[in-house]
Amino acid sequence: MDIKLEKIDNYRWLIPKTGLMRVNGLVFSNAELIKDVQGDQSLTQVANVATLPGIVGHSLAMPDIHWGYGFPIGGVAAFDLDEGIISPGGVGYDINCGCRLMTTRLRADEIRPLMKNLVSALFQNIPAGVGSTSTIRLSKSDEAKVVVQGAAWAVKKGFGTIEDLERTEDLGAMEGADPSVLSERAIKRGRDQLGTLGSGNHFLEVQVVDRIYNSEKANAYNLFEGQVTIFIHSGSRGLGHQVCDDFLKQMSTHRSKESFELPDRQLACARLKSDQGRRYLAAMACAANYAWANRQILMYWTQETLLKALSISPRELGMRLLYDVCHNIAKKELHTIEGKETVLCVHRKGATRALPPRHSLLPEVYRNVGQPVLIPGDMGTLSYVLAGEEGAMLNSFGSSCHGAGRVLSRTQATKKAKGRAIHRELEDKGIFVQSRGKRTLKEEISEAYKDVSQVVDVVHGAGLASRVARLRPLGVIKG
Amino acid sequence: MDPNKLNFKFLDHTADLGIIVSGLDLKDLFKTAAKSMIKIIVKGKPAGKTNTVKLTVEGEDLADLMVRWLSEILYLFEGEKVVLTDVEIESISPTHLDAILITTSFDPSLHEILCEIKAVTYHQIEVEKKDDHWEAKVIFDV
Repeated sequence: MDIKLEKIDNYRWLIPKTGLMRVNGLVFSNAELIKDVQGDQSLTQVANVATLPGIVGHSLAMPDIHWGYGFPIGGVAAFDLDEGIISPGGVGYDINCGCRLMTTRLRADEIRPLMKNLVSALFQNIPAGVGSTSTIRLSKSDEAKVVVQGAAWAVKKGFGTIEDLERTEDLGAMEGADPSVLSERAIKRGRDQLGTLGSGNHFLEVQVVDRIYNSEKANAYNLFEGQVTIFIHSGSRGLGHQVCDDFLKQMSTHRSKESFELPDRQLACARLKSDQGRRYLAAMACAANYAWANRQILMYWTQETLLKALSISPRELGMRLLYDVCHNIAKKELHTIEGKETVLCVHRKGATRALPPRHSLLPEVYRNVGQPVLIPGDMGTLSYVLAGEEGAMLNSFGSSCHGAGRVLSRTQATKKAKGRAIHRELEDKGIFVQSRGKRTLKEEISEAYKDVSQVVDVVHGAGLASRVARLRPLGVIKG
Repeated sequence: MDPNKLNFKFLDHTADLGIIVSGLDLKDLFKTAAKSMIKIIVKGKPAGKTNTVKLTVEGEDLADLMVRWLSEILYLFEGEKVVLTDVEIESISPTHLDAILITTSFDPSLHEILCEIKAVTYHQIEVEKKDDHWEAKVIFDV
């Protein structure tokens, strides 16, 4: 497909409706990033998504867009509940891959001398990397409870407190989860992975708040300059991957019975009203809840590690969850379309929800300032905290970017890193890193990713979410 | 093509991992694809007790068959902690495959995990006849 782009303004480009497209595509970007975007097939994927039945508004692309499977990564699409579809590829294999940010009372200068030891302690205590298994052993009844109760299950088991749930998207448990729709395979793959970080671009990072952009919102989020924060980026592990795989294959088999053409096999989908569609949503919710339980457990173990390594009390540490967001999910949400309030199914694949101030789903503590939007940088690069703005509800179904996205393949990154001591380069920048995988550091060099600051600039400039704080890494553990 | 080597090479893909696999015929292609994928995931000499497993896979066409075949091999590792050490494709058609798998249990003292493959995707999947051999392109989500 030959994709034509029409610039609307400095932050938005239109892909006009052509061929089988039912709606226009809309790409949030800037003059610099749009050149990369045109380099792969991601725009074709935006156009392909626009062909799906029941799509409402635009087929959207966030500024960190890159090509994925069917849907681009950084893709957002909303569907009408009657005519629309649900697509596992529009959520992603890692269902509820997401992140959480914790604040502390500590100042970075207090703990900098201890950072190397702290990173070692975290590396010891947090299961990470390929093949890593958890110390948590789930009984059969627990397996069913985790996927329904999500983060609340973890809290009941002593991992954290009930206050954490209020600061988690969907209170850490999506409704509609039904363990009976999970395959035995999905259960088996997730059985010994609860409480593991994962590998690839997942990480746990100790950071310093190195710039505040908006004092009022930063205060509401309990952020201050020089503060130590901790970021966790992880997902639903093997359970989520298998759910996506199971349903993609089922929907792929049934696609010939539908009356619409699919331009790409990986867009396999089912009508939201169909039995298959309902079953996927129920399984997806299970995986999402597993991921929230996972991050809740990882947070608890992080706190335990910090208390021991720094020999301080919980009161001195003062760790508090700022927020937890998912960036691979499909949710039924209320949106205003042509003046009318309508429930739509919003797919966010590599995109984060961004609720504006006064939205009813916000916890009371953030009602005046908007939802924290957490944008992880990749290994050794900056992360950001933003606040959801009204522009997101008006223009992107309440969505924002999720991170930077790769520009180099793993092979290209490894080539570029050849002969370089990456962990030494990071140490020279004041960042201590430990990773399990031998190739991880080379594959994950910062040059492999888009400039996250540019991505955030677009989101801020387009009015989707506004900058609140910038976070710089001090110590990282990776799988 | 060297019949004594696994005929595959990596395919450059920004976000994930792809391979291009070659085989003299369809049986060889599917066997090589499975063994190549396992080689990416785990390193180690097969040792100890082996088991023989029969596997039947069905698909809509060759590309679908390839994705489903590799997904089964992947699940054996990820879900059952079983490593494929050898395979014989007994019969294959564009929509059906019968195979015998020789497997061994994953043993961390013998096997090193190199890479976590989340899934075998349909993204750009190709299974094609070239002049004197078959070729497949597969992308994995990692």
